[in-house]
Amino acid sequence: MQPREKTHSHSHPVMTLKEKEKYIENFKFPFCDDSAKYEKVAKIGQGTFGEVFKAKEKANSKKLVAMKKVLMDNEKEGFPITALREIRILQRLKHENVVNLIEICHKRASQQNKCLSTFYLIFEFCEHDLAGLLSNINVKFNLGEIKKVMQQLLNGLYYIHSNKILHRDMKAANVLITKNGVLKLADFGLARAFSANKNGQPNRFTNRVVTLWYRPPELLLGERNYGPPVDLWGAGCIMAEMWTRSPIMQGNTEQQQLTLISQLCGSITPAVWPGVENLELYKQMELPQQQKRKVKDRLKPYMKDAYACDLLDKLLVLDPSKRADADTALNHDFFWTDPMPCDLGKMLAQHSQSMFEFLAPPRRSRTHHTMANQRPTTSAMQDSGYQDRVF
Amino acid sequence: MPCWYYDKKELRNTPSALDNIEYDTEMRYRKEGARFIIDTGSKMDLGYNTTATGVVYFHRFYMFHSFRQFPRYVTACCCLFLAGKVEETPKKCKDIIKTARSLLSDAKFATFGEDPKEEVMTLERILLQTIKFDLQVEHPYSYLIRYAKCLKGDKAKLQKMVQMAWTFVNDSLCTTLALQWEPEIIAVALMYLAGKLSQFEVIDWVGRVNKHLRWWDMFVEDVTMDLLEDICHQVLDLYSQPTPTTAPDSPPLLPRPAQTTQPSSSKTANGQEKEKPEVPEPNPPSVPAVSIPDVPTYPYPPSFTTTAPHASAYPPAYTNPPVVPPTHIAAPPPGPPPPHMAGPPPGVPFTPYVAPPHYPPVVATGPYYAPTPPSQPHRPYYPPPS
Ligand SMILES: Nc1ncnc2c1ncn2[C@@H]1O[C@H](COP(=O)(O)OP(=O)(O)OP(=O)(O)O)[C@@H](O)[C@H]1O
Repeated sequence: MQPREKTHSHSHPVMTLKEKEKYIENFKFPFCDDSAKYEKVAKIGQGTFGEVFKAKEKANSKKLVAMKKVLMDNEKEGFPITALREIRILQRLKHENVVNLIEICHKRASQQNKCLSTFYLIFEFCEHDLAGLLSNINVKFNLGEIKKVMQQLLNGLYYIHSNKILHRDMKAANVLITKNGVLKLADFGLARAFSANKNGQPNRFTNRVVTLWYRPPELLLGERNYGPPVDLWGAGCIMAEMWTRSPIMQGNTEQQQLTLISQLCGSITPAVWPGVENLELYKQMELPQQQKRKVKDRLKPYMKDAYACDLLDKLLVLDPSKRADADTALNHDFFWTDPMPCDLGKMLAQHSQSMFEFLAPPRRSRTHHTMANQRPTTSAMQDSGYQDRVF
Repeated sequence: MPCWYYDKKELRNTPSALDNIEYDTEMRYRKEGARFIIDTGSKMDLGYNTTATGVVYFHRFYMFHSFRQFPRYVTACCCLFLAGKVEETPKKCKDIIKTARSLLSDAKFATFGEDPKEEVMTLERILLQTIKFDLQVEHPYSYLIRYAKCLKGDKAKLQKMVQMAWTFVNDSLCTTLALQWEPEIIAVALMYLAGKLSQFEVIDWVGRVNKHLRWWDMFVEDVTMDLLEDICHQVLDLYSQPTPTTAPDSPPLLPRPAQTTQPSSSKTANGQEKEKPEVPEPNPPSVPAVSIPDVPTYPYPPSFTTTAPHASAYPPAYTNPPVVPPTHIAAPPPGPPPPHMAGPPPGVPFTPYVAPPHYPPVVATGPYYAPTPPSQPHRPYYPPPS
């Protein structure tokens, strides 16, 4: 709407690509700030579509942000659809327990980046991620604090699910916690909107989502018409991990993951899960028979609390239709009996940011993200520091 | 999020206007761009949501840039390309360009330059910044369906009415209505219009409360008749305009120093020059000039317009893409040739157009933009027994 300097010659109003780049540079977009307003402090992660930096706002150096770069280099189809998805979803989701997308910034094209402009997603900075905290032996959660973590996590899930969004990548590394102890679900790069079976048509989502260790049995068996229960399985895995301190089922292959699940949750049969026999991969996969359900038995030594065991037992249910939803889980006695959920701030204060950054193991390399066909490879597992298995 | 609604003054003060493009010409470019997105989208089997999202991006884009600097068909392709990704119906850029080439004349396609794909890709970054990554766009369709479900009355007539309203919503994309009013209001206005034209009088509706005078009072507040009439006329005006083929084609790209001739002045169907009034004429005599679509004289072109769905089977999919690029923009609103559309029904005269309504600046939020529900408190806290 505002007048601006013309960058083109009047006799040739059509701009060449070069001129266009120039036009972008000179045009003051009223709505998209320059990324130069932030100053990078450190690289803190490697995302699937670009690096993540910790940065501070130049105008207000107390304000810390995480800048997630959107790599456009090898994109045949322009701005990546995954980034668009994440942006659209995060714009819709505004909740205390969902990571806050502040804005999207733009970095001007320069000689160095071959005239390609870059975009950054700017997030509120979170000091910790749950995987980092759990792998730091100095960090100890008491029962009230664990309850607080799980309560916030389920609250976030309740919120996104009631807004018809599936996270689809639940894992400890995607659970961020601020220094004040507020939990934020992060990484909506795989998230998507769902609707209850549009005009009777079942959904056909990809089942190649969720990091293998947190992947629910229905996805492993090829279900494509899945829903919120996939995230609650992940929530269950994370819950157990609060005590075991490392992922409870670390399969190397889909087959192995199913075996581990059967060994913990009992055999996958039509008796406990009516309809499972119709899933695409049910006949292809080898499903251990005669396995007893041992969720409570095997986790009791770690969790001790009977309510905790009971809630976990309701989250790690094979049949997704019988798995507890976020609402049910939040109403479980676990959250309403002593010790009540309590603030995490105090405990986290002992593990100040500098402690975390210099003493704790680095945040997991994100390269073993197991979207699509990738699986966590042995080396990735070593990198991640998740070698010792609990089971 | 930015406010994407503009008043009529702002719509006349666009970058194109500042770039010496006549208002009517700009409106025609917008119409052609929108129609092209619709045609390309329907040829590629993209749903109405994707298409409509692309069109809205297109209109928003030209609130910040001039048609002279950004040729409309490239922008149109880019908007459809982005909308496809946003609405989870992605199409390959090269396929969109291929379809575009099949729909455009060589001269028009020449605006894509030597490397059409690169052209669209570069533009995408400009587009994203221009629309401030505000990707989520709502359209009147879903409201139309929601409202229709509440109306009581003869099922077949209701169906016909919804069908017609659906068509009007499709065609409204060729106007700047999406830059003026929220989708709820457009849906109400075009259902109101369809109700008039199909003689479906809404007498009762589900959820009726005494204080509601009209069915729409239930959904939108403070909508005046003037406003509804204005919206209806903006859509009906489309049908009284020349077809794109008879209109002179003056791409914005040819060097065109500020001139006083009007290559864009519209012609009536019989070729006579007709000055389009700046604002709709305020007095009743102008009403007959707003030709209410006159169906029987037109063969029915296959069109983008989907059959409005049965109330039970919403939302509908597109009908098959047209084989022939539809030219029905100047034709009557499509849909199965409704026998009931042969002119204004005698019994229910179209309410005379009184005066151009006053446009208060639109405030982006109204009571109908309910934010996402806050997470509900779970189980109240009872202090543990001591
Ligand atoms: N708001 C934030 N505050 C602090 N750190 C963050 C924030 N957002 C992301 N990170 C860190 O950046 C890394 C990558 O971020 P994120 O998971 O969003 O990227 P991604 O590309 O989706 O990764 P992947 O898909 O591989 O899991 C993570 O290790 C996370 O700890």
